[in-house]
Amino acid sequence: MNHTASTATRSSPCANGSAARRWLAPLAWLLLLTYACWGMPWLEPLFRLVEPDSRDVIYARADFFLLLGRHMLVVGVAALLAIGIGVAAAIAVTRPAGRDFLPMVSQLASMGQTFPPVAVLALAVPVLGFGTLPVIVALLLYGLLPIVRNTLAGLEGIDGGVAEAARGMGMTGGQRLLRVELPLAAPIILAGIRTSVTINIATAAIGSTVGASNLGDPIISGIVNGNIAYVLQGALLIGLLALSVDSLFARLQPASPQ
Amino acid sequence: MIELMQVSKRFGDALAVDDVSLNIARGELCVLIGTSGCGKSTTLRMINRLIEHSAGEIHLEGQPVREFREEVLRRRIGYAIQSTGLFPHWTVARNIGLVPGLLKWPRARIRERVEELMALLGLEVAEFADKYPSQLSGGQAQRVGVARALAADPDILLMDEPFGALDPITRESLQDELIRLQARLNKTIVFVTHDMDEALRLADRLVVMNQGRIIQQGHPLELLRRPADGFVESLLGGEDRGLKEAALLPVSQRMVALDDAPPDEQQVAQHATLREALSIMLWRHTERLTVVDEAGRPVGQLYLAQLVGINGEASGRGHDRHHRAAG
Ligand SMILES: Nc1ncnc2c1ncn2[C@@H]1O[C@H](COP(=O)(O)OP(=O)(O)OP(=O)(O)O)[C@@H](O)[C@H]1O
Ligand SMILES: [Mg+2]
Repeated sequence: MNHTASTATRSSPCANGSAARRWLAPLAWLLLLTYACWGMPWLEPLFRLVEPDSRDVIYARADFFLLLGRHMLVVGVAALLAIGIGVAAAIAVTRPAGRDFLPMVSQLASMGQTFPPVAVLALAVPVLGFGTLPVIVALLLYGLLPIVRNTLAGLEGIDGGVAEAARGMGMTGGQRLLRVELPLAAPIILAGIRTSVTINIATAAIGSTVGASNLGDPIISGIVNGNIAYVLQGALLIGLLALSVDSLFARLQPASPQ
Repeated sequence: MIELMQVSKRFGDALAVDDVSLNIARGELCVLIGTSGCGKSTTLRMINRLIEHSAGEIHLEGQPVREFREEVLRRRIGYAIQSTGLFPHWTVARNIGLVPGLLKWPRARIRERVEELMALLGLEVAEFADKYPSQLSGGQAQRVGVARALAADPDILLMDEPFGALDPITRESLQDELIRLQARLNKTIVFVTHDMDEALRLADRLVVMNQGRIIQQGHPLELLRRPADGFVESLLGGEDRGLKEAALLPVSQRMVALDDAPPDEQQVAQHATLREALSIMLWRHTERLTVVDEAGRPVGQLYLAQLVGINGEASGRGHDRHHRAAG
């Protein structure tokens, strides 16, 4: 999951005609996700195959739509916070005034990636208690890293001649940031956000262990009760959600230059 | 117009520019030349304060550059660089209109100006205005870079090896265009290059730098005839200096009136350089050429003896850029 390599140059957007078709894939995944949430009971015969002996094979303790909604809410809030904090931090340390902190922040960003989210969760619970809050904190910390790393890569990767021209033409710091640096770094920043969100959709499932109800519930419950069908249902929905969101991001990303 | 007074620039312990004094008059095309790392770009960038000087003073029309707000100063000075630095996410037209936009010109006036500049630099508006820099050839991108530098009609133009990465033919045609532009717009230009032929072709004033210092400055012919030391001499081409000087002088300066002898079959244009005339003589194995004007009418003749300057031409007179512009 490394999208850092995408280039910052953009060609003329000439594929407008097929705009509708470009939205086909994310739409299809979203439809499939909705259908799976709604029509899971109809798949009972299928799940019966893996769990012939259990009384219930369809997770029924909570509505799948409710779990999906909570899942998306937790991931969404964490993602918004991570984008806000991560992009702002990366911008701050690439300005002349914040340059001194650049090595520290970029080191933290790469080090943090090796820190398992379960450990963050375990450390956050004693401080923040059980529930949704520690999950948001864990996802935020874990999701920050790809965003910071990619924003730094995007801003630092801007062609030296372009940066010099922007300064030499008399653009102010703010004008350079908004009109040159961020637009040129956008594809790489977006790739970082995509990585961050996709990983966190999967990671959020562990939130169920600390009492935050979401699509991780069927999985945890399945593990605890030894019901593989529950685990599969949770995994299926999380997978479909991740694919929907990922293909949405794929659409947002500008086409690569010819 | 631009005055550098005992200017130095220090990067840590290294002295990149060392006690440089330079006075560039309005309308002058001043070329800085020297080996790589001698401080040419640093000198140039100190003028628009992309680099702050460590000692001395730099004045623009009598006012220290430090007294300007950086952005205001830079918007008054055109800047073109070798890598062009065009914004890859902006169209050609938007790139050219950058500085007028920063200066808050009305939209219609910017568009008018952009089209005017594209025409001036030989870029078809219909074809190029909406293209992105990645869709341009190197020469076209350089033209756009120069157009962008000229956009807000600055009095001063700083150019750092703007034609450095081009093939010789494209480079020469852009040099010709710059000469033509300069004759028309009368900008004050500071031009950095390490190509001596380019420097000699363009310069009103040639400034030779070495290790951060100015070794010699003056008119190209002056430097060719009286190089200050061995370094300048070798930079100017050593034994090739004769040809380089000939390349700066027009045929019209050494030709004599037609006499009764029938005109020679071999012809040379009045506006050609002595170097071209010599080349024709060498190629055609002849000592005499008929000089013709644009319409092909004989206006004089040139003998090898006169070409090599047996009658002694040592002054810089006859230096006008029009004969070069017409070439
Ligand atoms: N930002 C900087 N920090 C430290 N040293 C620098 C910096 N910019 C230039 N220098 C040094 O200053 C010296 C002069 O550099 P400058 O770029 O002015 O050379 P130049 O004459 O333009 O060379 P070239 O023909 O290769 O472009 C070089 O030794 C260079 O290493
Ligand atoms: Mg240089």
